[in-house]
Amino acid sequence: MAKFFQRYPFAVLILPLGFIFYFVYVGLGWNIVVSLSRWIGLRVNYSFNGFGNYQRLFEDPVFWLSLKNTFLLFLIIPICILLGLFQALLLDWNLRGTTIFRSIFLLPFALSFVVTGTLWAWMYNPANGIINSLMRAMGLGSLAGTWHTAQETVMPAIILALVWQFSGYVALIFLAGLKSVPQNQINAAYLDGASSFKVFRRVVLPQLKAPLATSVVIIAMYALRSFDFIWVLTGGGPGYASHTLPIMMYRETFLSTRYAYGASVATVLLIIVLILIVPYVYKTYRR
Amino acid sequence: MENGFQKSKKQQVLHVVYYFLLFGFAFFYLLPFWGAITTSLKPANDVLTTSPLSLPSQPTLSAYVDAFRHLRKPLLNSLIVTIGGSFFSIMLGSMCGYVFAQYRFKFDNVVFIFVVSAIFLPYQAILVPLFQTIRSLGLYDSVWGLILAHTAYGIPMTTLMFRSFYGDIPQRLVQQATLDGYGPWAIYRKVVLPSTKIATVTAMVFQFASIWNELVFALVLTGNKAMPATVSLNQMMGTLAAEWNIQMAGSMWVALPVLLLYLIMGKYLIRGYMAGSVAAT
Repeated sequence: MAKFFQRYPFAVLILPLGFIFYFVYVGLGWNIVVSLSRWIGLRVNYSFNGFGNYQRLFEDPVFWLSLKNTFLLFLIIPICILLGLFQALLLDWNLRGTTIFRSIFLLPFALSFVVTGTLWAWMYNPANGIINSLMRAMGLGSLAGTWHTAQETVMPAIILALVWQFSGYVALIFLAGLKSVPQNQINAAYLDGASSFKVFRRVVLPQLKAPLATSVVIIAMYALRSFDFIWVLTGGGPGYASHTLPIMMYRETFLSTRYAYGASVATVLLIIVLILIVPYVYKTYRR
Repeated sequence: MENGFQKSKKQQVLHVVYYFLLFGFAFFYLLPFWGAITTSLKPANDVLTTSPLSLPSQPTLSAYVDAFRHLRKPLLNSLIVTIGGSFFSIMLGSMCGYVFAQYRFKFDNVVFIFVVSAIFLPYQAILVPLFQTIRSLGLYDSVWGLILAHTAYGIPMTTLMFRSFYGDIPQRLVQQATLDGYGPWAIYRKVVLPSTKIATVTAMVFQFASIWNELVFALVLTGNKAMPATVSLNQMMGTLAAEWNIQMAGSMWVALPVLLLYLIMGKYLIRGYMAGSVAAT
C-alpha cells in the first residue's frame, strides 16, 4: 500500500475526487435530467417532458413569491456587514473582556439552525413569547407583534433572526482584517495630524476589501441555501408567505412527491448560484 | 497636546460608551438563550402563566428528562454520524489537500477549483440524485447513508482547509526528507502529519460542529430508525407544540455537544471558521 502511494502520489486523489465527481457533478447533471422529465410519485419516471416543468414554474405564483423572498434575504448582507464592522471596531479596542464579548457575539453562529429556529419560535411566540413579554414589561405592550405568525411580518422576523445568527461571524472576519492593518501605517497617519475618522476612512477601510468580499459571499451563500432556519421556524408559512426556493423545492419534491417539478426549482436555484458565485470563485483561485 | 486630566476624562466617557454598546450587543445575542434556559427549568403549568424572562420559582429538571426520552436514540445517531462523517471527510480531505499544497501537475488549478466550487453548492440541486443513490445502495434510513453523504460533501471544505494548513509547512523540512530518501507517502506520514496536529484538531472541531448541526441531508435520508437529533427536535415542535419547557430543554440537549466544544475548544472552532473564510479570499 505504502509502496504504491510512494510511486503514484496522485493515486490518493482518486477516491476523494471520485466522490466529488459523482456526488456533485454527476448529481447536478442528473438533477437537470430529472427536471426535464415527468417524474411524479414514488415510481421513478424519466420520460422526457422538455421544458414543461419550467413553463409551469414560470406561471406558478408560488415560484415568483419564493424567488422574491430568496432575494429579500439578501437584505441580511448589508445589515450584517454594517453591524459586524461596527462590532469588530469595538472589539479591536482590546479593552478588558473583549474575548468574552467576541465569544458571545459568535455563539449563535456555532449552533444548529434547528436549535436557533426553535429558540426564535419561542422568542416570537405572540402569546407569551420572550419579545412580546419584554415589551409588555417595558410598558410597550402596544408594540407587541405577530412576528413569524402573520404574512406581513414573517419575512422581517426571519431577517432579524438571521442577522442575530450571522453578524457575529461577520464581526470575526472583519476583526481579523483589522488586525492585519499595519499599526505603523495608522501611527504615521496620526502623526500627519489626521483625525480618527479620517484614519479609518483613508487607511483602514481600503484594506478591508478582502474581508468585505468574504462576508458578502459567505452570507449570500447561506441566504441562497436558506432552508433549515425557515423550515424550523415557519415551514414556509403562514400560507406561502415565507417560501424561499429551497423551501419550495423541498415541499414539492419530498412532501408532494413531484420530483420533476422540485428538480426544476433546484435547477433555477443552481443557475442563480452560478451567476452570483462562480465569477468570485474563479477570480479567487485562479493563479 | 491635550493635558492629562482632560484626556482621561474624555477616555472615561468613551469607555462607558464602549461598554454600554458591548453590553447592549451581548444582551441581543444572549436574550434567546436566557429565555430558553429559564423556560426549560419551569414546570409545565408555569410556562404560560409566568413571563418567560422570569426565573423559575421552583426550578425542575423534569423538562430535560422528558426531552431526553424523545431525543435519546436520535442523539446517539447524531453522535455516530458526526464521528463517522468527520473521520472520513478529514482523512480524505487531508490527503487531497496535501497533494494540492505540495505538488504541481497538469490542470491542478482547474481540478482544485472544481473541488472547492462544491463548497458553494446549493444542496437542493443534488438532493434528488443523492436520495436516489442512497436508496439504491440500500442505505436509506441508515447511519451509513448519512455518513457517506457527509463524507462526500465534507471533502471540499476539508481539502480547502488542509491545503492552506499544509501550505504553511516549511518547504525546508520536506526537501530535507526528500534528500534523505523518503517517498511522498513517508513524507506525509512522518513529516507532514505530526507537524499539523493543530490543523487536524481544527478541521475535526469544524467538521464535528457542521455535521452535528446539519438538517437537510438528515431530513431527506433518514426515517425513524436513523433519525439524527436535529430532525427529532424539529419533530418535537409539531408534536409538543404547546410544551415550550420541553422544547427548550430539547434545544439545550441538541445544542449541548457543540456548546461544550465551543467552550472547551472555541479557539479551534474559531480558527476553523477563519480557515473557512480567509482561505476563501
